Amino acid sequence: MHDRIYIDANYKSLNKFGEELCGDRVQYVPLEDRFIMVLSDGLGSGVKANILSTLTSKIMMTMMEGGASIEDTVDTVVHTLPVCSVRKLAYSTFAILQIYYETGECYLAEFDCPGCIFIRDGKLVPIQYTQREIAHKQIREARFHLQIGDVLTLLSDGVIFAGVGALLNFGWDWDNVSAFLAERAEPDMTSARLTSLLSDSCNDLYAGQPGDDTTVATVKIIPQKIVNLYSGPPENKEDDARLVTDFMSMEGLRIVCGGSSANLVARELHEQVVTCMDYLDPEVPPIAKIPGIDLVTEGVLTLKKTVDMMREYLAAPTDSRVLQSLDIPHGAAMIAKMILEDCTHLNLFIGKKINPAHQNPNLPVDLSIKLRILDDLAELAKQAGKVVTRHFY
Amino acid sequence: MDLTVCIGSSCHLKNSRAIIAGLEQLIQERQLTDRVTLRGSFCMEKCGCDGVSVKWNDTIYSLKPDELTAFVENEVLPRL
Repeated sequence: MHDRIYIDANYKSLNKFGEELCGDRVQYVPLEDRFIMVLSDGLGSGVKANILSTLTSKIMMTMMEGGASIEDTVDTVVHTLPVCSVRKLAYSTFAILQIYYETGECYLAEFDCPGCIFIRDGKLVPIQYTQREIAHKQIREARFHLQIGDVLTLLSDGVIFAGVGALLNFGWDWDNVSAFLAERAEPDMTSARLTSLLSDSCNDLYAGQPGDDTTVATVKIIPQKIVNLYSGPPENKEDDARLVTDFMSMEGLRIVCGGSSANLVARELHEQVVTCMDYLDPEVPPIAKIPGIDLVTEGVLTLKKTVDMMREYLAAPTDSRVLQSLDIPHGAAMIAKMILEDCTHLNLFIGKKINPAHQNPNLPVDLSIKLRILDDLAELAKQAGKVVTRHFY
Repeated sequence: MDLTVCIGSSCHLKNSRAIIAGLEQLIQERQLTDRVTLRGSFCMEKCGCDGVSVKWNDTIYSLKPDELTAFVENEVLPRL
């Protein structure tokens, strides 16, 4: 059986040193049946380049979304771009990637940009291009099939010129960039981590002062991954058993958040909760173990921290510090990592009972805010592109 | 025998971490390590108390960090 694929995508642009605006532009959108990504690099740098690349990517995105042919799309771009007064040219490079979820079929079109890097099973796969002229421009096209684990990376030329004239005589060069990425791409790395890896290396080669706008956009083909998270005792005690039965019948990973919830699940499963006593972060209570559950944590304090971490991630998903924070083995980071990196579908099982344990006015923090935190968590997961469903008890 | 400290949300905020560290030290000082095992547990449902819930011999005590020495002297040692 051929299961539909899912797309994990991210990008990062480094601005040319001293420029406030980037002349490279990436746009992507997950549509119902397919995913489209466009990377465009406008002529020059700063404002002018930014306008050219924004126009190019936006027109392409909109037309491809509407089902226009590549001929019409390129033709429209060529006739729309304003002509640069210095160079007497209307010019912006582009790469278009279109991937169908059901078939894994991929269409790639490039104009004057460094080639897309295609990695499968840790090895570089050469892309078989055909060339044709559209609106007096030489376009390279390729059609191929993708499978789970495949990585496609689009680049602007700032990447392959990284270090030119300084650390490296002729820059990093496509062969070296692609070999580097193929060698360093671990199977469990997300698009954000792959993008961060390559982008940070470019920044290092430029010694923190990129000589050109430098953009990396990565797409990774992933399978459906389900995460189930349960928190809070049900409003009516009679529903305890039903909740645990429903929760345990789901496919995918299982997380239980909250002391009372953990005790409830363990009781229904006739198991024991064994708590760890390692404090990796004084703010985050230790985790616990219940056989059959992938992760057991304390409730409201941990979830609050998870929500903070998810918010930080969404603001800068390719920032290496943010990515490293997900690897800390405390409860909050473990939940954030599972939801952000190991999940396409998130099922929340929410018990609505107000926890009498939390109605203590002498506590320094308000503990009765768990339902709101779970709302925030659901909202952030949606922003991260997850399909979220909620079940209340 | 097990000496169990609650590390649920409420007790966490009342500094169960300091209670664990304090008890750990006392157990070592009095050379009780092979007779008392310090464990953690989630909510013991005594969150309304002022201190951190600690279970010893099926009784739940509510303890603050400065009460630990007295607790070990008066409760743990006599009932070991």
